[in-house]
Amino acid sequence: MNKIALRSVLVLAFGVLLGACSGKPSYEPAQQSGDAPPLPAARNFLVPPMQVPRYAGWKQGQAPKVAPGLRIEKIASSLMHPRQLYTLPNGDILVVESNGPGSEPVTTPKQLIANKVKNLSGKGAKGGNRITLLRSNGNAGAEWEKHVFIENLHSPFGVQLIGDTLYVANTDAIVKFPYVTGATQITAPGVEFTDLPATINHHWTKALVASPDGSKLYVGVGSNSNITENGIDQEYRRANVLEVDVASASSRIYASGLRNPTGLQIEPHTGKLWAIVNERDEIGADLVPDYLTSVQEGGFYGWPYSYYGQHVDSRVMPQRPDLVAKAIKPDYALGSHVAALGLLFSDTNALPEKYHNGAFVGEHGSWDRSPLSGYSVVHVAFVQGKPVGVPEPIVTGFYSDDESELYGAPVGLAQDKDGALLIADDVGDAVWRVTAASPGTP
Amino acid sequence: MNSHVAPHRSILANAAYGLLNPIPFGFFVAALIFDIIYVRTAGVLWNKGAAWLIVFGLLIAVIPRFVNLAQVWITSRQVARRADKLDFWLNLLAIVAAIFNAFVHSRDAYAVVPAGVWLSVCTVLLLSIGHIVMAVHHSAAKESVHE
Repeated sequence: MNKIALRSVLVLAFGVLLGACSGKPSYEPAQQSGDAPPLPAARNFLVPPMQVPRYAGWKQGQAPKVAPGLRIEKIASSLMHPRQLYTLPNGDILVVESNGPGSEPVTTPKQLIANKVKNLSGKGAKGGNRITLLRSNGNAGAEWEKHVFIENLHSPFGVQLIGDTLYVANTDAIVKFPYVTGATQITAPGVEFTDLPATINHHWTKALVASPDGSKLYVGVGSNSNITENGIDQEYRRANVLEVDVASASSRIYASGLRNPTGLQIEPHTGKLWAIVNERDEIGADLVPDYLTSVQEGGFYGWPYSYYGQHVDSRVMPQRPDLVAKAIKPDYALGSHVAALGLLFSDTNALPEKYHNGAFVGEHGSWDRSPLSGYSVVHVAFVQGKPVGVPEPIVTGFYSDDESELYGAPVGLAQDKDGALLIADDVGDAVWRVTAASPGTP
Repeated sequence: MNSHVAPHRSILANAAYGLLNPIPFGFFVAALIFDIIYVRTAGVLWNKGAAWLIVFGLLIAVIPRFVNLAQVWITSRQVARRADKLDFWLNLLAIVAAIFNAFVHSRDAYAVVPAGVWLSVCTVLLLSIGHIVMAVHHSAAKESVHE
C-alpha cells in the first residue's frame, strides 16, 4: 500500500520532469517579426529548449543556398573564425577574425555543461585575433588575395576608418592605427584610444560605427549575463550604446537597456543610428524576439527589467517599475532566437531591385530554440527610413536538412565596391559573396 | 528484529556508508539556508552557492545510496526492519526532489524562487524524518536490549 503510493508519486514526478522539458514553439520566426510581434507568456523550464547541430563545415564545392535570382561564391576560406567585415574606400575588405576571450569564469554547475553543449556546433572555435585584408584580383570565380593586415588583437569585433585613422574595437578597448590607402599590412603598434567595459565579458563583442560627420564613435556593449544572474553590479556601463567623442576620447552612455547590441549602422536616409539587439533567453522558444531598432539618445529599451516595452521579466530582483514605465518598445522584431549579429544598410547594390533600400541582417542562430531559427541572411525592406514587411531570407542552407549538422553560420556583412553583398561565416571559416544571378538584370 | 541472526554486511560497505552518508544531508541543509538568504537579499552568490551544494550533495550521495539499496533489499533483507525500509524510501524521495532542484537551480537569477526553495525544504524535511526515524528506532532497540 505504502509502496504503491510511493511508486505513483515517482511516476508522477518523472511525468512532470518530461513535460517541463518540452518547449515547442508556436510561431515561425517570420510570424514574430515586425512592429507588433505576438508574445506568448513567459515560462521557466527545468531544461530550457535547446538544439545544437554538430559542426561539419563546408565540403568541397558546397555553398549556402540563395534566393531565386541570386548567385553565391566563396571569396576566402581557411580563415580563423571570421566575424566582421569592413569595406575600405579603395575596395579592400577587412575581415576581423575573432572569438570571445574565454575570460568568463565558471561560477555555476550549469556553465560546465552548457559550454560543452554550445561548443559542439563549432561556434566556440578559437579566433585569429587578427584582421585579414582581402583584395580582388579581378579573376571571376577565384578566391581573393589574402594579406594579414593587423595581428595580436584582443577579441576584436568593430572596425571603423575615420580619415586616415583606423579604429578597432577590441573587447577591452578601442585601439587606433594609422592607415595609408592601399596598404596591405599595418605594422605600427596600436595606440589605445579609450578603454571599454571588460569584466567577465559574458557578451564580448564591441560593435563600432562612426556618426556621419566622423565626430563620434558609437560602441555596442553587451550585457554581462543573460538576465542579471551575475549580479546587477556587473552590469555597470553594460547593455548599452556608448558614444565616444573622437576628439577627446571621452565617453557617455548614449542609450541603455539594449541587452546585446551586436550591430550598429547609420540609416542612410535619416542619418539616424540603428542597432540589432539580441534579447534574453530561457523563458521560451518564442521569447524574446531579437530586434532591429533606431536608437534614441537617452532612450531606455528595457533590459533587464522588461522587454518590448512593459513586459516585466520576473527573474530580475529587485524590480524597477520606474524604469519599466519608461522602457521604449523597439521598432522591428526579427524573430525569436535568430541571434542577429550583422547589420548592413544598403540603398543600391548589385542585387535585384527588391533588395535595394533596406537592411541586410546576418542571423547567427541560437542554442536556445528547437527547431532552429536564424542561420540565414535576411533582407528587411525600408520605406522612408522605417522597416516594413517581413524579413526576406536571401541566404540559407547553413545547416543540413535534418538540422543535425552545421556547415556555417553568417555573422558580419559588408558591400564591396561592385555592390555585391559579402558575408562572414565564422563556423565555415569563409567569406561569401552574393550578386544577381545574371549581371545587369534588375 | 531477530538479534540472533548475524547481519551479513561488508565492513567496507559499512565504512563507506558511515563516512559518506552524513555529507549530502549537511550540503542540502546548507543549500536551504543559502536559498532562504537569497530570497531575502537577492545576492546572486547565495543562489550560485546553493546550486553547487545541491549538485555536490547529489554526487556524494551516489555511493551511500547504492550501499543502502543493497543492504536493505538484498544482503540484509532478512534483518531489515520497517524503519530501515522507511528510511530507504524517504531518502529516495529526497534524492528525487534534489535532482529536480538541481535543474531548478540552473535557472537564471530569481527564476529559482520559489520552486527551488520549496524543493530544498522537501529534501531537508524528508532526510530529517529519515534520520529521526532511525535514531528513535535505534534507541528503542537499545532500551529493549538493556531491559
